[in-house]
Amino acid sequence: MNPFASSAALDMQGQFSTQDTHMYSVILPTYNERKNLSIIVWLLAKMFSDNQLSWEIIIVDDASPDGTQEIAKQLAATYGEDKIILKPRAGKLGLGTAYIHGLNFVRGDFVIIMDADFSHHPKFIPQFIQQQKAHNFDIVTGTRYRSSATPSLATAKPGGVHGWDLKRKLVSRGANFLAATVLNPGVSDLTGSFRLYKRSVLQHIISVTQSKGYVFQMEMMVRAKALGYTVGEVPITFVDRLYGESKLGADEIVSYAKGVWGLFVGV
Amino acid sequence: MTRAQRVAVISTIFASLYFLAIFEILQVPFIEGKVVQEILPALPWWLLVSFGSYSLWSLGWGLFTFRDCPEAYEELLNEISQAKNDLRNRGVNVD
Repeated sequence: MNPFASSAALDMQGQFSTQDTHMYSVILPTYNERKNLSIIVWLLAKMFSDNQLSWEIIIVDDASPDGTQEIAKQLAATYGEDKIILKPRAGKLGLGTAYIHGLNFVRGDFVIIMDADFSHHPKFIPQFIQQQKAHNFDIVTGTRYRSSATPSLATAKPGGVHGWDLKRKLVSRGANFLAATVLNPGVSDLTGSFRLYKRSVLQHIISVTQSKGYVFQMEMMVRAKALGYTVGEVPITFVDRLYGESKLGADEIVSYAKGVWGLFVGV
Repeated sequence: MTRAQRVAVISTIFASLYFLAIFEILQVPFIEGKVVQEILPALPWWLLVSFGSYSLWSLGWGLFTFRDCPEAYEELLNEISQAKNDLRNRGVNVD
């Protein structure tokens, strides 16, 4: 008989149903995502099972009035209470605190952060994982601006955006150029929020991050670089605003510039 | 040290070297005094213009290479309808 398959050997090695013995936790902050939540969970579950990975999704819902939590409970009944974990909060308390709250319940050793509105597609997660394993990165981030991975990854396809007109693209490139010049973060997409972190790295960075809103995502990346963590990039396609148009107001631009300045003098 | 402090320190060092060279307190090695007096006053403006043209090029190139991905959009719409059918069969309310 195969000695590695004897019960003594299996007890010592542990019994894993997958070749990859890591566990991947996805933290999904939701607010009024009743229609989108089940589909994004379906896509994630399909991707994880196709790639034979152990996974869990932690849904942090900020007391959505549209019934998102019922959908989450139905999904937990379908996929398993150990795979879909609903951790609601009392009110709309912000993204950063949602991650902190979710982190308390994470059982995996890798954490994936993404948006629940289809702008981030789960099909890129296996590429993130591949990139992370190839170079033991602390963080792997998705970038919309590059067509190849940094360092290169054979299976990576070019990144891009859908649903942006020329003006929006110009604003985006300008904002990125400003942040890159002022902060020199070492990544091509600073405001992106589709990332894979080692759990301890995420816990450390989140504990020192102070901003709110999407400046929070920028601050995490800048702090990561300042603390010496290694970051890899994988190009992603970003489908913005599946229903409706993407708008960017003038006061958002002003608050972005203030955020960049705050990071410049603060980190 | 924050990034702002680092940038301030480095620019102070370079600015003082520049002013020392312009007022001829320090000699620039290997270059004649006459040539130095002609080039140095123009140096900050040259830096500004170079940075401006680099920024313009960078923005233009970035816009030129900014990819659209209509195929991702189509694929996503497809997957959404697939997901809805599958989930309906499993008893999750998708409407």
